[in-house]
Parts: sequence; structure tokens; C-alpha cells
Amino acid sequence: MLGSVFAKSLRDVRRSFAWWSLGLAGYVALIVAVYPTIRDNPDLNELVESYPDALKAFIAFGGRLDFTSAAGYLGSELFAFMIPALFLVASIGNGAGTIAGEEERGTLDLLLSAPLSRTRVAVEKLGAMCVELAGLGLVLWLALWIGARVFGMDVAARHLAAAVVVLVVLAAAYGSIAFTLAAATGRNALAVGVTVALAVAAYLVNSLASLVDALQPFRTLSPYYHYAAADPLREGLDPWHTLFLLVVGAAAASVGVVLFARRDVGT
Amino acid sequence: MARAVVRAERLSKDYAGHRGVDDLTFEVAEGEVFGYLGPNGAGKTTTIRLLLDLIRPTSGRIELFGLDVRRAGPKARGRLGYLPGDLRLYERLTPREHLRYFASLRGMSGLGDGEGLAERLELELDRPIRALSKGNRQKVGLVQALMHRPALAVFDEPTSGLDPLVQQVVYELVAEATADGRTVFVSSHVLSEVQHIAHRVALIRDGRLELVDDVESLRQRARSRVEVSFAEPPPTGAFDGLEGVREVGRNGDVVRLTLEGSADPLVKALARYEVRAIDSHEADLEEVFLELYRRPAGAR
Repeated sequence: MLGSVFAKSLRDVRRSFAWWSLGLAGYVALIVAVYPTIRDNPDLNELVESYPDALKAFIAFGGRLDFTSAAGYLGSELFAFMIPALFLVASIGNGAGTIAGEEERGTLDLLLSAPLSRTRVAVEKLGAMCVELAGLGLVLWLALWIGARVFGMDVAARHLAAAVVVLVVLAAAYGSIAFTLAAATGRNALAVGVTVALAVAAYLVNSLASLVDALQPFRTLSPYYHYAAADPLREGLDPWHTLFLLVVGAAAASVGVVLFARRDVGT
Repeated sequence: MARAVVRAERLSKDYAGHRGVDDLTFEVAEGEVFGYLGPNGAGKTTTIRLLLDLIRPTSGRIELFGLDVRRAGPKARGRLGYLPGDLRLYERLTPREHLRYFASLRGMSGLGDGEGLAERLELELDRPIRALSKGNRQKVGLVQALMHRPALAVFDEPTSGLDPLVQQVVYELVAEATADGRTVFVSSHVLSEVQHIAHRVALIRDGRLELVDDVESLRQRARSRVEVSFAEPPPTGAFDGLEGVREVGRNGDVVRLTLEGSADPLVKALARYEVRAIDSHEADLEEVFLELYRRPAGAR
């Protein structure tokens, strides 16, 4: 796995990928295993219904809040916050580390002395990031699919796949933003910090927009809105929302590649 | 002169906080060893990083093999081997894996000269790099820079961290490379390291080139050092005004002098005193350089 920058970048994350997979699968198993108890407790929906709107806005994923259906349960327990948070941690760390990590460790000088263009190096590293995220998505989908069958959850495999795909695309978009900030500045911590702040802001704008009218116009700018709005666990993949996220990611990545090709490295 | 492998034309790099390099123009001819000398912080590494297109000049341009590095960087770097001054390697790989990675990036199927070079440098290829000493890491860097038989090797302080025996091997490798018609650009802050392997040297100070010259003609300019022991110390100023002679210090009966050109005026002057011993040292380029360093910047 040392044949190219792409392959080496994947090799570098193979251990962390194994741990992430294990953690994700374990977490999904835990959440899914509790589902039968929740399903058989119809009072829970009434309890949730009585929550203040502010709280409901934060635990809803896409459509209506409904803990007793499989889609509603998985949406609120996994896809509304925890799973995207975990995927963003993985993608932002990877995206920022692709260039800035090597630059801070000092190995970038040697790498760029090889007969490769900067653009090529950046694109191969971004490609590796996307493959890693897709791999984590596959692990997540498998864990959900197996869990759903074992615990009798009424949710279609293709709806699970839709939610996972849009999740991976969201994570890749934030990974690309982190990559761009890191590629432009060479500073890992700055790239991670700013991207996390942007992600939190997007999450808050989307969640609070249903409560604060002033935020409504900005809601469609929030990647998180496009991630959740189409209710993929019930409705499947929405091409436009997914496309929006893909465009954000691709635009960010292109800017990053260009800025990286232009600047001085390691000074 | 043979074809220029490196051509720097009015090359400048400004930094906001610190000095870069200013208006450098030089050429390195095919097949020569070009020694790039200067004190630490003078701009040696900045020049090298400009050659590699790691940083971009504020003005001026660089050609490697006649190719503009800004436009044809990958193609030019395909024929180049680089040993960074501040070498950092992938700690989690073994030297063999490290070499294999760079060989792949260079489109090689095997390690090229890698294994042979590792053997000559007595580098173990299968211990993790994180467990290696500084000297062994430097060897990995050297093998990496030479395994593909580059037409141009750029070495930034290549022998730092190496013990004298291995340094000798490095000098041999440089000599062999040029015997094959390849070109070596080597920076150093120690003249003695370069004067035996370089054909030409450039001296950079405060970001400016002070001189570019053949080692041979520099040697001719060099002063030899003469140490004379007297029976009793001659009066102060006894050797002032003698052509090519300068008193550089005395210690009791012993007077130290430098001599440039003919020894005759000095010998005639010494004849007036009772001389116990004369000790003469071969001309040393170090003196030439120390003198250049001591002069105010820009004066020639």
C-alpha cells in the first residue's frame, strides 16, 4: 500500500479506521438493542410530544418526531446528532491533516520533491479521505441493517442507505472545508477549529430556525438543513439536497487545491 | 562551459519577518559539484527550497535542465534527488518501506540503487524509522535522494549528524555521481566539507551572493599561515609594510603571520633576527572565507 500518495494515505488511516468501525458498530448495536423496549412503550410519544419546542427542534431528524417508529427512533437517536458528530470528527480531522499534518511534521518537503504536482498530491489525499468516509458509511450501514433485522425494525435497507449516503456527503463536505483551510494556511489546529465552529453554527441555524423567524432565511444555507430536511430514513435520497452538499464539498475542495498549489509550503 | 543544469536569474525572495535572498544569479554546469556556502541563516536553505519549487520567488526565475520550475516542476523534479537540511521521515515506516514509497512516486518498479547504497552506508532497512538515530535517518535521506541516479542531486548540509567514516562515504558517492556526468549541488556552513569535493563554490551572506568562483583559483588567492619562533620577540610592527605579509597575533616569542604571494620579503625581513623555528601551513580556504565574512556585507 505504498504505490501512490492515495494508497499511502489510506494505509496511514487503516488502524484508526478499524477502531472507528468497531466504535461505530458498537454504538449502533447499543442504540438498536434498546429499540424493542421503546417501541413497546406507546406512552413515550406522548411524553416526547410534551417536550418544549426548543428541545424537539434539536432531536428531530427530518420529518416528525416519533420515537416508536423505527425511522423516527433511528433518526432522533443516531442521525440527528451523534452519528453526524462522529462522522464530522473523522472527516474534519482527516481533511485538515491531509496537508497540514504532513507540513507540521515536516514530511511535506520530501513528498513535494517527488515528481508530482501539488494538485495531484492534494487530489489523491482528498480521494483517500472520501474513500475512508465511504468505508465508515458502509460499516455504519451494515451495522444498521443487521441491527434492524435482529431487532425487528421496520425500516428499508435502501432508506438506511439513503441516510448513510447523505451523511457521508455531508461529512465529505466538511472534510473538504477543513482541507481547504489547512491547505491554504498550513495550520492544522486552525483548520479544525474553524471548521468545527462552522459545523456547529450550521447545526444551530437549522435547529433554531423552526423557533426563531429571523433565522429562517439562512436555513437553506446550512449544510445540516440539506442533510436532514428530506427525511431520508422515510423518503429515501433527495437528489437536490444531496447535490447541494456535493457542490459545497467540491467547491471547497477546488479552492483548497488551487490555494495549496500557489502558496509557499513549510515556512 | 557545459550545459547549465541549474540557472538562477535575479532570484529574490522577501519575507515579512525575516531575510530571504536578494538578486541571486548563478549557474551550475552539468557534471560539476557546486558548493553553496554560507553561515547559518544566510539563505542557503531558502535558495534550495526555491530550486525545489517549495517556495516561490518574489522576483526572478529558476530553470532546472532548461525547464522553468514554476511551470514544469514535476518534470524537472523527476531528474532530481533532494536531501533536505531539516530531514523529516515517515516515522511509522521502515527505511525499506520509505524507499519503496518514494520509488513508486518516481515511477520505479524496484528500489533502483537503493539496496546497494544502503549496504555501503551500513543502513539497516527493516527497523522502524522511529527507532533510528539521527545519523541513520540521514542515511535514509541520502539513499532516498540517490537511489534513482538523479541527473542533479541537491544536498542541504548532507553530512550533518554523520560520523566521519560515513561522511567519507558521502564524499565518495558525490565523486562517483560526477564521474557519471551527474551534477551535485551541495550546501554547507563548513568550508572544509566542501573544499575537497566541490569544483566551484558560491558564498552567500545575508541573502546575497558574495562570490562564485573555482575552488582552484580561490586556493591561489588563499594566504598561507606562517608561525615563527624567535630567540627573543622582535619589536612590535617589525613586519608591517612587507608585501603580502600580515601579523595576525603573537604569543611570547612566537609570532603568527599570514603570507600571500612570494615568501621572499618575509624571509629577508626575518634574517635580521635570531629565528629558532619556522612553521608554515598549507594555504587554507577557510582563511579566505573568514576574511570575506568579516568584511561588511556587499563590499567586494
